[in-house]
Amino acid sequence: MTGPRQHLTPDEIDSLLAGEPTPSQFEHLTDCAECTLLLGQHRAVVSTLEALPHFDAGDEFADQVMFQVAVPDPFAMRSMATARRRLLETGRSRAFAASVAVALVGMMTASIIWTSLNRELVSSAGSWLGGEATQWFWVALRGAFANVTEQPWFDAARSAIGAPMRLAAVSACVMLLYVVGLMALRRLMAIPSEGAAHAGA
Amino acid sequence: MTAPQGIQALVDQEVVALARSGSEAAYRELLRRYERPIFSLIFRMVRDRELSEDLSQETFVKALNALDSYRPEFKFSSWIFKIANNTAIDHLRRRELNTLSLEGSPHAATPEAIEATALQIGARQETPLDTVEAKELGGQIEAAIGALRPEYRACILLRHVEGRPYEEIAEILDLPLGTVKTYIHRARNELRESLGHLRE
Repeated sequence: MTGPRQHLTPDEIDSLLAGEPTPSQFEHLTDCAECTLLLGQHRAVVSTLEALPHFDAGDEFADQVMFQVAVPDPFAMRSMATARRRLLETGRSRAFAASVAVALVGMMTASIIWTSLNRELVSSAGSWLGGEATQWFWVALRGAFANVTEQPWFDAARSAIGAPMRLAAVSACVMLLYVVGLMALRRLMAIPSEGAAHAGA
Repeated sequence: MTAPQGIQALVDQEVVALARSGSEAAYRELLRRYERPIFSLIFRMVRDRELSEDLSQETFVKALNALDSYRPEFKFSSWIFKIANNTAIDHLRRRELNTLSLEGSPHAATPEAIEATALQIGARQETPLDTVEAKELGGQIEAAIGALRPEYRACILLRHVEGRPYEEIAEILDLPLGTVKTYIHRARNELRESLGHLRE
């Protein structure tokens, strides 16, 4: 003899919401008004939820998202894919690619090891190079200055800006030219304000 | 822009593969497929239209810019719903931290500080936009969903509004399957109780 069946468990209610009752569940539901009512209420909640509409995000939503998404360039991807395919096409090309990779890694490793073993030599070579570079810089600067002072127009130009007032006038002219040039450049590089896609995004 | 007919017949994984190869139409197709479900989920989670638009946009931008990290052996829907849910939950957590208590900050030591940190009820005027939102989310069921705990809300929406299986919900929310089942059952019970008076 079996005792009275227990009420439906939450798992049983879940499975009943998705499908048909098993014979024992059916029998219990026929006898138990409480479980029948409970199942009916759960079914009503589920059907109300399932009838809920989806909302619309707005007409410009997709454009606004696409404006912020970096779509890969198909040409670059095709070129990469072609290069990769060609490189891995035959045994010989694969061996070539592998030997280049091994040579590169080997050279980099050897370079790191050699540098760490010869730190003093590297630092003395660095100081020597730095000294040479500074010396060459000053020689070049002196040469350029001497070249300018030997030009036939140099004396005339020097006397033209000799007086403070004339120097100020020349400086003002140069500044004015600089500002005009900047404005012209800015105008040339301005982004067109009309007809730009996604400008409002 | 309408997606070409061919793309619409493809499964998500194939559309993603096309997108990865640089097809803008494939990106737009993914957007077309998931725009409304994602927006609806987020709107019902945060209950603010403008904010939902921002969070949905954030979700799609994150997902579409990271398509390379998507693994095709999993469902694309699980992946994008996971991003959407995390975005919404992160926002709700931040908002909770920034929300001042009606009675004033618990850290306020003096009566003046308590008064200064307390929320002023009625200070915010309802705008026409609020009225539209209230109408959109105004049903008894929407109000009842809004009153659920965020974890219950996400579970019940994914199960009964989006029709996702329990296993997928567990994957989306990073929860054990048993917990998902419990949350859904509890959420349905709470809704049943909240909506009980409608049946009477």
